[in-house]
Amino acid sequence: MAMQTVYLKEHEGLVYNSVGQLSSVTSAPWWSALGSQPVYGEYCGQIKPFSFEISNYVDQFPAGKQAVRGVEQLLDKGHTTTQFTIFPDDCKMSGDAENPQATLSLQSSLAEPHNRFEIGFNQPMICAKYPYMDQFYGLFSAFGPQISGRIMLPINLTSDDGPTYVNAKQYHGIIRRRLSRAKAVLENKMIKRRKPYMHESRHLHALRRPRGCGGRFLNTKGSTNGNGRNESKVNKTGGRQLQSSASQSSEVLHSEVGTLNSSKETNRSSPNISGSEVTSMYSREGFDGFSVNRLGSSVHSLVDMVLSRPLNGLQQYQVTAATLKFD
Amino acid sequence: MADGPASPGGGSHESGDHSPRSNVREQDRYLPIANISRIMKKALPANGKIAKDAKETVQECVSEFISFITSEASDKCQREKRKTINGDDLLWAMATLGFEDYMDPLKIYLTRYREMEGDTKGSAKGGDSSAKRDVQPSPNAQLAHQGSFSQNVTYPNSQGQHMMVPMQGPE
Repeated sequence: MAMQTVYLKEHEGLVYNSVGQLSSVTSAPWWSALGSQPVYGEYCGQIKPFSFEISNYVDQFPAGKQAVRGVEQLLDKGHTTTQFTIFPDDCKMSGDAENPQATLSLQSSLAEPHNRFEIGFNQPMICAKYPYMDQFYGLFSAFGPQISGRIMLPINLTSDDGPTYVNAKQYHGIIRRRLSRAKAVLENKMIKRRKPYMHESRHLHALRRPRGCGGRFLNTKGSTNGNGRNESKVNKTGGRQLQSSASQSSEVLHSEVGTLNSSKETNRSSPNISGSEVTSMYSREGFDGFSVNRLGSSVHSLVDMVLSRPLNGLQQYQVTAATLKFD
Repeated sequence: MADGPASPGGGSHESGDHSPRSNVREQDRYLPIANISRIMKKALPANGKIAKDAKETVQECVSEFISFITSEASDKCQREKRKTINGDDLLWAMATLGFEDYMDPLKIYLTRYREMEGDTKGSAKGGDSSAKRDVQPSPNAQLAHQGSFSQNVTYPNSQGQHMMVPMQGPE
């Protein structure tokens, strides 16, 4: 019972990610081939025999080949990312079986908001694999495919009919995660666009704040200095204070875990929380089209931390905001 | 919640702000993006900047990694008829999934963490033991707690300690 609920929560947590991958399937070259495959249930049935096959591969890894496994781990991270794109086929098929109109609405809703995913996955998958490796593991790009191809080929060809290879140890986990994400997608059925802000009242407050030329908020030290070099100096100062307040907050947490209402803890931890909050607000605000504000969000958060030190009233306001955040 | 799925026997999820536009699931799907961008900034020079889509991509990657490790550990706990995932289960899950290189630094981290926080069975800290007791009856809190813990053990010590402050608040 308890574990089932926890598991369901995991499903909900990855709805957006699954759908992002789902949109890439429409442009995948093997979609027509997979269309002739059996339905969702039979695909689940195919998973169980492969777990035995995985155990065989795991046994073939002697302890002496630690270095080789290290290389594989680096490569497998990129492979794992690539591997995820194949699974939404089954999700789409099951959705099609249940409700065709829901599938159509999913497609229409997916086309616009997830363009950045489609850009990445429009290429054929066998070519898309190499940019990942070149980008993240340049040193191993020439050496990696051979290891992956030798070890992983039979599993993936049998189950997925695709050129993607994964670490044999992770194969079962990846399949389980795919099922979890598919289940979460089915339960939610409609995926909303990533929200620009979390709370309406804070968004309205940010809209009402006065702004100077360039769109940045007034009442901050950064806006008073028009010089770039001064902004850089303020940024460095803010960074140092951020780190010092972080360490102070850690000390407070270790010494007084149970007493959240302690004035000492509140006084020390409030600048850190306010920095997080201000950064979050600015990044959300940037979604509304204020690109300058988005670029300067880090400066604003650090400057606000500097400014919050001497002002008791502002600190009190931030403590209240922190309390609201943790409700 | 109108948008919530019909989960059988699912616990209710508490959200501080009940305004119509607030989306509980987005907070459940991903870690807070402000904390992630702060960690990313620590690896940059003082004048470095991070694009919004880069933050979102890393946010999705770290959230998926946490779910990946946690689901493997959860499978092990289900086989052994246990309800609580602890740090050793996460270390075992990382070894099983091929992340052996993570184990040595994380073992060191876990040892020092337990030294500072006291034994899990003991009651050295009143608040700490009550927090652990709260984890048992509430499944949502259990998952949130595990997420917080794995987040701590994944990053270096200073960043882990830094991250503990905002994550402890919701608990």
